[in-house]
Amino acid sequence: MLTRFRSLFLELRSRHDFERNMTEELSNHIQQYTDDLVRSGTPLGEAQRRARIEFGGLTTIQEECREARWLRPFDELVRQSRYAARLLLKTPGFTITALLTLGVCLGANLTIFAVINSVLLRPLPFPDSGRLVTIFNTYPKAGVERDGSSITNYYERRSHISAFSGLALYRHDTAIVGEAGSTERQQISRVSPEFFATLGVGPVIGRAFTEEETSPQTDKVVILTDTYWRQHPKAIGSQIRVDGNLNTVVGILPPNFRFLSSQAQLYFPFSSPLSQRGPLQRHSGGNSRQLVARLKPGATLAQAQAQIDAQNAALEVDDPEGKMLADAGFRSLVVPLHADHVASVRPILLLLQAAAFTLLLIGVANLVNLLLIRANSRSKEMAVRQALGAGRWHIVSEVTVETTLLTLLGGLIGLCAGAAGIRFLATFGADRLPLGNQISFDARLAAVACLGSVALGILVALPIAWLALHREVANTIRSEARGGSANHAAQRLRNAFAVAQIALTFILLAGAGLLGLSLQNASSVSPGFRADHVLTGQISVPWNDYKDWPARIAFDQRLLGEVTRQPGVVSAGLVNNIPFSGNSGKSSATVVGHVLRPGEFARANYDYGVDGDYFATMGFSLRAGRFLTASDSFREQRVCVVDQDFARYYWPHDNPLGKRLFRGPADTDDSRAFTVVGVVGAAKQVGPTETGAQGAIYYPYAFRTDDHVFVVLRTSLPPESLAVTLQKVVRRIDPQLPVSDLQSMDTLVADSLIAQRSPALLAALFSAIALLLTSVGTYGVLSYAVALRRGEIGVRMALGARPEHIRRQFLLIAAKLLIAGTAIGLLGAWSSGQAMRSLLFQVPPIHVPVLICVACVMTFVSLLACLLPSLRASRISPMEGLSSL
Amino acid sequence: MTTAADLLPGTLDMLILKAVSLKPLHGYGVLLRIKQISREALDIPQGSLYPALYRLEHQGLIGSEWGQSENNRRAKYYTITTTGRRRLKEETAGWNRLAAAIASALNTTPEEI
Repeated sequence: MLTRFRSLFLELRSRHDFERNMTEELSNHIQQYTDDLVRSGTPLGEAQRRARIEFGGLTTIQEECREARWLRPFDELVRQSRYAARLLLKTPGFTITALLTLGVCLGANLTIFAVINSVLLRPLPFPDSGRLVTIFNTYPKAGVERDGSSITNYYERRSHISAFSGLALYRHDTAIVGEAGSTERQQISRVSPEFFATLGVGPVIGRAFTEEETSPQTDKVVILTDTYWRQHPKAIGSQIRVDGNLNTVVGILPPNFRFLSSQAQLYFPFSSPLSQRGPLQRHSGGNSRQLVARLKPGATLAQAQAQIDAQNAALEVDDPEGKMLADAGFRSLVVPLHADHVASVRPILLLLQAAAFTLLLIGVANLVNLLLIRANSRSKEMAVRQALGAGRWHIVSEVTVETTLLTLLGGLIGLCAGAAGIRFLATFGADRLPLGNQISFDARLAAVACLGSVALGILVALPIAWLALHREVANTIRSEARGGSANHAAQRLRNAFAVAQIALTFILLAGAGLLGLSLQNASSVSPGFRADHVLTGQISVPWNDYKDWPARIAFDQRLLGEVTRQPGVVSAGLVNNIPFSGNSGKSSATVVGHVLRPGEFARANYDYGVDGDYFATMGFSLRAGRFLTASDSFREQRVCVVDQDFARYYWPHDNPLGKRLFRGPADTDDSRAFTVVGVVGAAKQVGPTETGAQGAIYYPYAFRTDDHVFVVLRTSLPPESLAVTLQKVVRRIDPQLPVSDLQSMDTLVADSLIAQRSPALLAALFSAIALLLTSVGTYGVLSYAVALRRGEIGVRMALGARPEHIRRQFLLIAAKLLIAGTAIGLLGAWSSGQAMRSLLFQVPPIHVPVLICVACVMTFVSLLACLLPSLRASRISPMEGLSSL
Repeated sequence: MTTAADLLPGTLDMLILKAVSLKPLHGYGVLLRIKQISREALDIPQGSLYPALYRLEHQGLIGSEWGQSENNRRAKYYTITTTGRRRLKEETAGWNRLAAAIASALNTTPEEI
């Protein structure tokens, strides 16, 4: 088989040579035979005649030779393609409309598919990456769905879970890279020694990390990515200053090493003091630390899960918190790494692909209708050709070649549109999706585009070929000759496609409406603070230079003092974590006097450390008592502020002021309890669509210090204009400290809506295109109906019908199409609403006002589309109409 | 000249393979060679030779190369390939079995039943 295709390929490549050689070979034969005949005494003329007769029909033999080489179907294809191309060129209006429709629809599909391909389908760039898993802790009944893994988890599990061939811990982090005074803040990763071995890709120069390098005293080593190494050439053994310490380069990673969405250029050992590896730290996960493991060949996910469950159960037996953990529904889940990483965007991407596909169907319905109209105008030609003996197969292949030529060209335009679309999607935040920085065109995408175009071409050809074959040949010739009423089957088919188009557009519009409402609901949710005129920035305060809380508070005080003196600054405050920062770690507190009711579980809450004028700066509302002040850090009696959600949960009927709580588990030392001195309004932490009131506690900064701090300042000026001022102030206090993530709070809030906004905008864009296509489609179908009935209209007008009757007749056709399409569309909108339920925010999947609006828009557009044709119909003069009979 | 017999279907390929297996030949040469080795007993329609040659080449059973003919014309010479040689051997064996079977069937006398 292979040799035959090879031979075909070779011949196609030199088609011209093939023909020339064949002709030469055959004429040689005849010549030689003639020579032989002459030599045996036949006169030359007679010899030539006999040679030619005995040889047989030259053309037939040539054709048989071509057939022997499988060239005939190809020749036929070329001939038909030429014919189709000529036909398409003859009707440029139709061709351009069809190509644009296909280009836009296929482009939209390819763009979304490029994202799906890069994010969901393409395997991670590691050998046998399907065996990579991650493990995380979950405490669902305490309101914590996901809590990463702790260092203790890692040390307890590695080499104890036989289903894994490797298990590693990692954490994404940032660090200041470079000499003192450098303010370049870089993404880095901290990884345990087995990390690279588990992934199956490690340093190509040098070595991976060793066990000794996991101790904080001996962890000053670094592995560089290829990209970083090319920008900053460093030999193995040379040193790089990171966060003020000299680190020795021990390895260089291969080019294109990329772990999930990480932008890290430098890898450091995950070091930890022994005190952080003990049983007490087992549940101090926090989402920053993650495990990655590789399943042994032959081991299944279920086996790994069973082994982890068994280990957890054994450890819980001697855990004093065992009962509490069981109540919280604690489990450690083993899930595939890739699927887990992209789980959050999967539904939205699939929804968008479905929307793009719907758009394609609408475009195809349009195209089929245009083609049907075109086929009808050529039906006489077809019928005559059939009557003259053109085979069915020939007609079918001719139609298919024409449509496939169209869809292939459309696919080509679509590929270009898709390439532009990917860039366009980046403005919608596609590059911020998990793995979104790896969205690109690849062979799979090109193959999908080509195969899809061909399949589409064949699919589109089906109804047209069907119609061409099922027309009564004799009838067509006669009816066309007499200009009689249109072929009913063709009209019905066109109407069916128009109805399908209206129904699909209805579904698309309804979906876009629901997403739009979701966006509106999400953006009208109050975040609980006033985001306008607030600038935020993050400062990393290393423990090396600021060893205890008095030193850190002193830094805070100095910073706040200097910042508030700057012109334009109204007030300033500090907090360990601002809302919408992307970090949403929770911890637990123990409320004095609160007894867990049966069925109630310990709850996790947000906890913050604040300094300066944080609440006023952020515009929190005060519900009772007072805000925290800078002096609360030094007070003899510990105080705190809680938010409304927290107060409502624990003291629904009492005054929260004066109530006491411990940070973490209950303490015997009563002086360590915090007294509630104020209640503030609840603020969202994760994003506007966050539901479930978790509650929050705000402590004075001394009791909740962190290695980084966020500065917030309220200003009367545009917030971004103060960014440079803030950087200068910080540099004056300590030139070592860089300020990163300088952003206005407005930007953060707007960014947090991207998950709602981008799909809604894309759906709106698709709907607009769909609406345009549908109006063009309806217009086309009705215009054609009018054109076909010119004669009939002329007769009726001559018999005294009034223009409005004629107009009404065509509006009625449009209304029928609209009603049928809307009815089917309603059903579709119902099921699509159900399917996208999880993506909607405070919108029911069936939203009657949305459906009514969509119906109105569809009615308006359809009527507009049929207005022109029906007006034209009513203006046909009897004479003109009759003359076309 | 003996009366030429018509070819049985499918035997032309076999004869062509045999002819070119002896010596590389051009198309007209194949025709002459078949006539010669069949002692002028087989009548090959001249034109049908070429589709068969093209088909065999397409199947990779014979190869071809352009060269000089005996009277200094450019001519396409066909040679047998390894696959072609194997096929010829199989077909020859098959043909011999068939011929023997048919011969024995046709030679049966009433006494032998």
